[in-house]
Amino acid sequence: MSELDRLQASCLFEIEHCDSLKKLDEIRTAIFGKNGKITELMKQLRALDNEQKRQLGQEINLAKTAIMERFSTKLSEIEIRDLQKKLEAEYVDVSMPVRPNAFGKIHPITKVAEELADILSSYGFMFEDGPDIEKEFFNFTALNIPDHHPARTMHDTFYLNMLADEHGRKLLRTHTSPVQHYTMISHKPPFRMFSIGRVYRSDSDATHTPMFDQVECLIVDKNIGFAHLKWILLNVLKKFFHVSELKLRFRPSFFPFTEPSVEVDIAYELKNGKMIFGTGDKWLEICGGGVVHPNVLNCGHIDTSVYQGIAIGFGLERLASLKYGIPDLRGYFESDDRWREAFGFSHVAK
Amino acid sequence: MRFSFDWLKKHLDTNLSINQIADRLTSIGLEVEEVVNPSEIFKNFRLAQIKTAEKHPDADKLQVCKVVDGDGREYQIVCGAKNARAGLKTVLATPGAVIPASGDVLKKNKLRGAVSEGMMCSYHELAIPSKDDGIIELDPNTDLSLSVGEALNYGGGFIDVSVTPNRGDCFSVKGIARDLAAAEAGSFVKPSCVKNDAAFKFPIEIDCMRSDACQQYAPVIAFRMIRGVKNAESPDWLKSDLQAAGLNSVSLIVDLANWMMLDSGRPLHIYDADKIDGVLSVRFAKPKEEFIDLKGNRYELRQDMLVSADNKGVLCLMGVMGSDRAACTMETKNILIESALFDPIFISKTGTFLNILSDSRTRFERGIDRASAVSGLEAATKLLLDNCGGSASDIFVVGSEPKNDVTARLTKAKLNSISGYEIDWNIAKTILKKLGLKEISSSDNELTVEIPSWRNDLKIEEDLIEEILRINGYDKVREAKFDEVVAVNDRKLERMKTNINVIRLLASCGLSEVVSYSFIKSAVAEEFKENKKLITLINPISSDMNTLRSSVIPSLLLAAIRSLNYGQEKIGVCESGSIFYDDCKQSSCIAGLRAGAFSDRNWLQQARVVDAFDAKRDMLVALSGFGIGENNISIESTAPSYYHPSRSGTIIYRKKPIGFFGELHPKINKLFGISEKVVCFELIADDLSVSDKKQPYQEKVFPKINRDFAFLFDARASVGNIVNAIRKLDSRISSADIFDCFEVGLTKKSIGLTVTLEAPDRTLTDDEASEVSNKILEFVAKEGGELRTK
Repeated sequence: MSELDRLQASCLFEIEHCDSLKKLDEIRTAIFGKNGKITELMKQLRALDNEQKRQLGQEINLAKTAIMERFSTKLSEIEIRDLQKKLEAEYVDVSMPVRPNAFGKIHPITKVAEELADILSSYGFMFEDGPDIEKEFFNFTALNIPDHHPARTMHDTFYLNMLADEHGRKLLRTHTSPVQHYTMISHKPPFRMFSIGRVYRSDSDATHTPMFDQVECLIVDKNIGFAHLKWILLNVLKKFFHVSELKLRFRPSFFPFTEPSVEVDIAYELKNGKMIFGTGDKWLEICGGGVVHPNVLNCGHIDTSVYQGIAIGFGLERLASLKYGIPDLRGYFESDDRWREAFGFSHVAK
Repeated sequence: MRFSFDWLKKHLDTNLSINQIADRLTSIGLEVEEVVNPSEIFKNFRLAQIKTAEKHPDADKLQVCKVVDGDGREYQIVCGAKNARAGLKTVLATPGAVIPASGDVLKKNKLRGAVSEGMMCSYHELAIPSKDDGIIELDPNTDLSLSVGEALNYGGGFIDVSVTPNRGDCFSVKGIARDLAAAEAGSFVKPSCVKNDAAFKFPIEIDCMRSDACQQYAPVIAFRMIRGVKNAESPDWLKSDLQAAGLNSVSLIVDLANWMMLDSGRPLHIYDADKIDGVLSVRFAKPKEEFIDLKGNRYELRQDMLVSADNKGVLCLMGVMGSDRAACTMETKNILIESALFDPIFISKTGTFLNILSDSRTRFERGIDRASAVSGLEAATKLLLDNCGGSASDIFVVGSEPKNDVTARLTKAKLNSISGYEIDWNIAKTILKKLGLKEISSSDNELTVEIPSWRNDLKIEEDLIEEILRINGYDKVREAKFDEVVAVNDRKLERMKTNINVIRLLASCGLSEVVSYSFIKSAVAEEFKENKKLITLINPISSDMNTLRSSVIPSLLLAAIRSLNYGQEKIGVCESGSIFYDDCKQSSCIAGLRAGAFSDRNWLQQARVVDAFDAKRDMLVALSGFGIGENNISIESTAPSYYHPSRSGTIIYRKKPIGFFGELHPKINKLFGISEKVVCFELIADDLSVSDKKQPYQEKVFPKINRDFAFLFDARASVGNIVNAIRKLDSRISSADIFDCFEVGLTKKSIGLTVTLEAPDRTLTDDEASEVSNKILEFVAKEGGELRTK
């Protein structure tokens, strides 16, 4: 075994048994440093002739490469081991809770309003809005509700302490239907319109609140009739309740602003206390509507010799209650935290 | 309108069951609210007689009875009722029976070791009102093979119909039968026309002013006298008919009049003729004239109300209610019957103003048969003579029955167009005919009909179309699809959805959405009104809801208090709603409120209570939903008086104030009795809308230069606004942010500002950077700040 071989073997041995970066660096210096063993050997080359220089040089280089390789392998071994140690020391208990980040809830009325807005606009209904403070003319007269109608009394309608004007006394609208009139006045038929908003009636018991929300739909077109009302209602409700089949019962009824008028019941059955829609033989009223009375169209400057209309009105809370099983109407407006936790929706719920 | 099935069958010849009739009624628009079908209710109930009753061996208060039903079947029944005794005939519920009062299903069971195969029932258990406590005691002669329904006078059962206000004709059993017959639920039994011979001349002097108004409000009033009647207790059939309708039995004469009204929809008024003092005059009430009704309630009348009166005053508020003074009693011998026609609106006004509800008013204001004053009086006379005896005078008529000349025209084209599908023309014609509409002229495309006197609701073509669709069945109308169109760019919808998105954003920051009433208590509203004029309700539901809110903050505060009261410590609520003020002004508002802790105690961070900057951040989050950044607004340190005067601000956008934020004034906390800190913000969202305009894209690749400054400002300077302005000072300033703020002495504050400079097309030179720095220094100096030297 030559001197070089011995040197190589001892270097490799040292590297192999090294266990820290610091020591490895010392070994590196001891081998390749200014006075390192290999460096010293290289220095001896100067005294040799060319042939010997070439031969020994080659051998030294081979040994050098071998040592370097082992060296870098060891280096990465130690680095990995050290990192592993460091990371292990950085242990955290990931089961511990995070910094608090509370989310609020979306009110069911908002959720259902948005659902209906999406469905109705997909059928080409445009959104229209009207004020909560109305006047007798727009809330009643324009909708063919006669002067002596009981709905106009203080018993049913909230009146405001303000002077009446040419459109009568000021009141809180009892339905969203005045928006029908505004849309007729401001749009050329044909059009499809819907509105969603707060309405007020002087009523307060277990099933009535003095304020609630309505959805109003109106189509004015040529040859639009009762059969179309059935179709749109069936399809809107199917989409709303996410069912492919829906049983509806259309009952003749009476409203001053439609003729013929209809009240619509939805079929359901109870399964484990939950209402299942689409099947069953129990009925629950869900909305009212009909073919718009010619007096209403005339008042909205619609030419009744050419155009007809159909209208539908829903109670938003009822729809929300049916779809999401919310029991008590009063809870909607009582701003109770626990109610919100139970019936509110996530801010990303769609 | 509640009536027995047997009563209906007097007017309708039908093979249908009570349930089938009920379904048909609902389908033609006479909505059935309740069906009482005795064969369903009394399934598993039977009549039975107690054979033996012996004391239970192990229970003092129980008896073990042997009971036999009509079929001779024997049962052992353990019974606790004191009146259970051998020989008694009663009602027995057998296993499977649903007890009407409780809804429980009866099971065979053991009581103290003795098997009981059923239960003998009390009236109470069958949900029948009664004073009797024990088990039902039937007449000893009762045939046990009868059904329970028959023995208890349930007959064929009961139907309760909710009649819509347009259908005056269906406030009677006859009217309902006529509608059913049109819908082929049976055939209508036509009432026979009666005429009673006069035994004497009408003897009472009637003074009736036939002014135009009187003619308009009361076109016809018919009177007749019957002498020698005998009043008595009503027979059972009459009592049970009235009971079915929810009316109490008074006496035979009164009950017959009520029965006529229920049966044929013809209201009558019957006076005790001997109690009329002098001439009976029909006239308008005198100003503030007094009227005392049957129950003794006093009313002050108006001059536009029609009364009948004698020398002593008002006897009857016509069409609405009679007075006690001329009411019939058991001693009544001679009666005066009044049968009239009144204008619906006139009756409605009288009833509404005096707030009197009566069956008579209900019928007159919805419109009765216009041609029934005399014919109804004849029918009533016969009924009274048959039941009470006596002899009748001739009929005295004031005014005249209106001519029946109402017609309406229907075209096939309109019928099909309103229906939305083609309906057989012959079916349409048949339906109208069955409803009593007489064809005047008819062709293949149109027809003209005469409206019968009992249908005041039919006037125009659409009314006829509804009749045809209704009787033919709404379920027969085939649905017709119409073209789906893609919604146009609906800016109003986007506007509405933006508000919802803003609420979603706020919810993601921990604020829960509430929906509050638009009206609040006036004392609360006053605290938040500022310089606005409040709008109040004339007829609020309660004094807690008498004023429209002019700010959403009080609503949110009430919500927060509710949560605080049950121990919540960390409260965050928001609302998108309207506020109302001045002369009918309404604004759409978005508001948020936090109270108490912002965050709970947590191992990673310290707990802290809310502060004005939480409200400001919530406000900025809301504004971001409208596409408005911090750079687009400025803050003024003023706010309404319900905010903390030096921890609140006004948000200025496009030179206009659009909202406020900050800590609530302690006086509000005191007023509401809450110790927790409350912060809030409110935005008027009317003029905020999302713009979809995009900035041109610029790729920034050149290095940025950062410069830090330390400035001294007056302690009360609005540094946030100054920094906003610095950002706009030069296009090369890409950001300017405050990284540090502390007080220096009592009057100054130190602000650490870091500014980033860059240009899209080149690397900035040191000279350029210095130029911008100098600009900033100059601006700060102008705003009252200075470079901190130490």
